[in-house]
Amino acid sequence: MRRYNMLLTGLLMIGAGVYLFFARPQILSLGFDELAGPFLWCVGIAVACAAVPLLVLRTPVPPTGFFTDNVAKPPAMPSRQMPMEVLLLQIENHVRLEQAAAESFLKFPTHDQLHSKTPSPFVN
Amino acid sequence: MRHDFLNGLSSVEAEQALSLGTRVIVPSETSLFKLGDTADRLFLVERGRIKLTLPMWVRGREENIFVEERCPGQAVGWSALIPPYRFTLTATATLHDAEVTALPREALLKHFAANPVGGYKIALNLAVVIGHRLQLFQTMWLREMQRTVESRSA
Repeated sequence: MRRYNMLLTGLLMIGAGVYLFFARPQILSLGFDELAGPFLWCVGIAVACAAVPLLVLRTPVPPTGFFTDNVAKPPAMPSRQMPMEVLLLQIENHVRLEQAAAESFLKFPTHDQLHSKTPSPFVN
Repeated sequence: MRHDFLNGLSSVEAEQALSLGTRVIVPSETSLFKLGDTADRLFLVERGRIKLTLPMWVRGREENIFVEERCPGQAVGWSALIPPYRFTLTATATLHDAEVTALPREALLKHFAANPVGGYKIALNLAVVIGHRLQLFQTMWLREMQRTVESRSA
């Protein structure tokens, strides 16, 4: 029903504008009828015209709220984080590279070997 | 297959030690033992690879993080011979099935008592495995500490 609210509002404004302009109710001053009637009429037409494409283009959204099973789920946002499997593989690769560097140090224990750099993304 | 654990033993002595164990197939991606389990058997890798992992929190989830891999000829689970006889890692077969020889602690200790010379050699081999692991992780720890110090003081 909410989809039609804008269209109904526009039509009501047109109706009120037409009524004010042509019926000229006694309780309102003459100047007000002449100004407010066409104003409501024009704005109502604009609102109604704007509502039509929105009605056509908008996809229906299921109602949300408490005690309903049809709760609209937010669209899945693409994650900026790398997938868990990729991260775990990177960790494994890092450990293997660090082990290889440590093995090299144990074979040739020098200061340079101890602090040699690996291409692991965790240390670069 | 020559096992690191049996280095220095004659082929007869090695056969005697191996006869204490039983062959166990570890299907792919299946655990041989888990962290904290009672360690009552030592394993010699015969075929395939065994991955050793430790649990770590990654993005709010506990994940088994790779620590090292054991290949055919290497021993896994020396916690079976070291008090308090609890595994300190989780061991899992990698993508392919693995096969290990499981040597029960009780049978090994009896064998060592009956064959002290062979037992001494095996104990030395065990010391080599443990010592290598200690040196390796000591080095890795120092490298990590160095990076931590550098990043904190940067």
